[in-house]
Amino acid sequence: MNTNKNSTLGASQISSKRLSILAKNWALFFLLILILIFSFTGKRFFHLANFQNILHLSTTYLLLSASETFVIITGGIDLSVGFVMGLSSVLAATMMQQMHAVNFPPALSISIGSIVTLIICIIPGLLSGILITRYKVPPFIATLGMGGITSGLTLIMCGGFPVTFLPPYLTEMGNGYMIYILPGKAVSFFNRPEGIVGGELKELVRIIPFSFIFIFIVLIILWHILKNTKFGQHTYAIGGNMDAAVRAGINTNRHLIIIYVLSSFLAGLAGVFNVFQTGVGNFTPFTAMYELLAIAGVIIGGASLMGGKGGIFGSVIGVILIGVIENGLHLSGVDPFYRFIAVGLVLITAVVIDQSFPDLL
Amino acid sequence: MRKSLLWITILIISISLVAVFSLASCKAEEVAEEEEVAEEEEVAEEEEVAEEEFTMLFVPGIADPFYFTMEKGIQAKADELNINLIVSEYPESWGPEAQVPILEAAAAVGGIDLILTAPTSTDALIAPLKKLYDQGITIITVDTYLGDGDYSVESDYSFPLSYIGTDNKLGGQEVARHLAEMLDETGNVYVMNTNPDTSSVVDRGEGFTEGIAEFPNMTLIGMDYCLDVQQEAQNLTTAALQKDPDIVGIFGVNLFSAQGAYQAVVNAGLTGAVKIASWDATQDLINALKEGKVDLVLAQKPAEIGALGVEWGYKYLKNGEEVPKKVIPGFEFFTADNVDDPDMQQFIYSK
Repeated sequence: MNTNKNSTLGASQISSKRLSILAKNWALFFLLILILIFSFTGKRFFHLANFQNILHLSTTYLLLSASETFVIITGGIDLSVGFVMGLSSVLAATMMQQMHAVNFPPALSISIGSIVTLIICIIPGLLSGILITRYKVPPFIATLGMGGITSGLTLIMCGGFPVTFLPPYLTEMGNGYMIYILPGKAVSFFNRPEGIVGGELKELVRIIPFSFIFIFIVLIILWHILKNTKFGQHTYAIGGNMDAAVRAGINTNRHLIIIYVLSSFLAGLAGVFNVFQTGVGNFTPFTAMYELLAIAGVIIGGASLMGGKGGIFGSVIGVILIGVIENGLHLSGVDPFYRFIAVGLVLITAVVIDQSFPDLL
Repeated sequence: MRKSLLWITILIISISLVAVFSLASCKAEEVAEEEEVAEEEEVAEEEEVAEEEFTMLFVPGIADPFYFTMEKGIQAKADELNINLIVSEYPESWGPEAQVPILEAAAAVGGIDLILTAPTSTDALIAPLKKLYDQGITIITVDTYLGDGDYSVESDYSFPLSYIGTDNKLGGQEVARHLAEMLDETGNVYVMNTNPDTSSVVDRGEGFTEGIAEFPNMTLIGMDYCLDVQQEAQNLTTAALQKDPDIVGIFGVNLFSAQGAYQAVVNAGLTGAVKIASWDATQDLINALKEGKVDLVLAQKPAEIGALGVEWGYKYLKNGEEVPKKVIPGFEFFTADNVDDPDMQQFIYSK
């Protein structure tokens, strides 16, 4: 650098530092700006219940995005998560339904159904991982194929209809809140205050859905793994430079298999949560595009499809951003077809901004 | 080099194995079909002894409870009028590629006077049915139609005797009227639709919009598309309820949209305050009605559609009576009050 330009350099350094902070966290700023705008345009947008709804309904996407975050950081992609989620949802629901039908206690059938499903749901990931590492199938093809197989098995199992007649208390657990307040009258924890009549139900204030606590714990664990452990560092190393990672003595094959198993497991978790949230076992139709929206969230959150970049916090912001856009436009009274356009435009803008500041990141 | 040769050999062997197997299975199917045909002929011969006047063939659209129920209606009417009825194989999937071979195999038996069928494509079924029509067989389309369904105007698809089926738009209007009645004709309503590119559900939505417009104190505040994803239906309805918490009625055009809407209503703490209407009396939706998740279910009348097809066909064949080009049977509505009514059980679609 030239000594003559010392003074100007100082100023530009400061502004570039500011710009860098802005660029690094642009998704967060963008989110805050959108919330501000929608607060004016959207009917009842700035409302505790609405923010809770957005987060509560984003739970499955947060889980799917977290699983994609790991995969994308290694430079791969997992197109099977949406269908693994469908498999998990149908499998868990079918098991619960069968056990409930022969009069198992609800607690037992729900927990057995959930746990067995979670174990079975690592199989697609294990197979994808083996295909990708041992047989050098590109992740795109391996997981696309695995997604199709999983979807077919799911449809065979449920016959194209949602699985119903599940044990009681499922949706109460999935959609319950920690605290209920009836203004000026009653406060209760975990359960609705008793003896509420129709009209009062609308005034009942609900705070902190159970799903917050569940997703918060899961995300903190994943964030810790990615940020502070050797496993996390190896994940970034593989995505940054595969050859260097091999030379550094990382068992890349084993590591990648674990990554895809983890991805599949999280998708399974999303499916089980889906049963708790909707109270039925849902298969994943091809129009759902769960995996694509999850990947979009990860990319908006600052990850690169080339690998080596990204993080759990960013992905969470990305998913919430998509949720806020859809919800905000809806409450602003934008017609459904225009909403499709708006969401598409925002996604593209997001990545354009990201690509415009590569040197600052 | 040697390795790649090995792979190529394996590839060739596996391809030829697949080819051999598929050929073999094709042959097996042919044999099976021939046997079936032979059996059917025997059956036909036996029944001719009973001096039946006419033979009718029913070719359903797909193996599902709607057509199973239709077959029951057809069978009952055929027995009553002493008609020899042949029912073809049920296609496993919806589409001309599955239905046309079944139609042609079944018609090859010969001696058929009339075909009742639900064409699985508005264009692809025109040519195969025209061919049969030219052989002197009368065609009636049930539930679905050829072209735009208007056989009264001369066109290359106007040869069928009649179309007997449901009018989705009319059904949407009827749902609106019944829902309005439940809601004392006041309040805001919302439609949870599935796909903006499927004519049947689009018509239901349009009909509902028109129906609600008849009530000055009711407003349709929005229509969203959940693409047959229940979770999406739940998200969209939650947002709609956040925007307009005074929604009192929701029309979910099928099982998925109705169930998603229901869960959103429960989560918003509005159970009972919002009435949900839905379409088709499948066992799933009737169960949802019994569980209190849905308040109103429109039932089409597949059995009646079938019976009307047989009846009009018989009148035409026997006396050459003039048959309306379009016959639209009514609907039945299920509510919590009448769902256990013995008279209503016949309208639930069943196997």
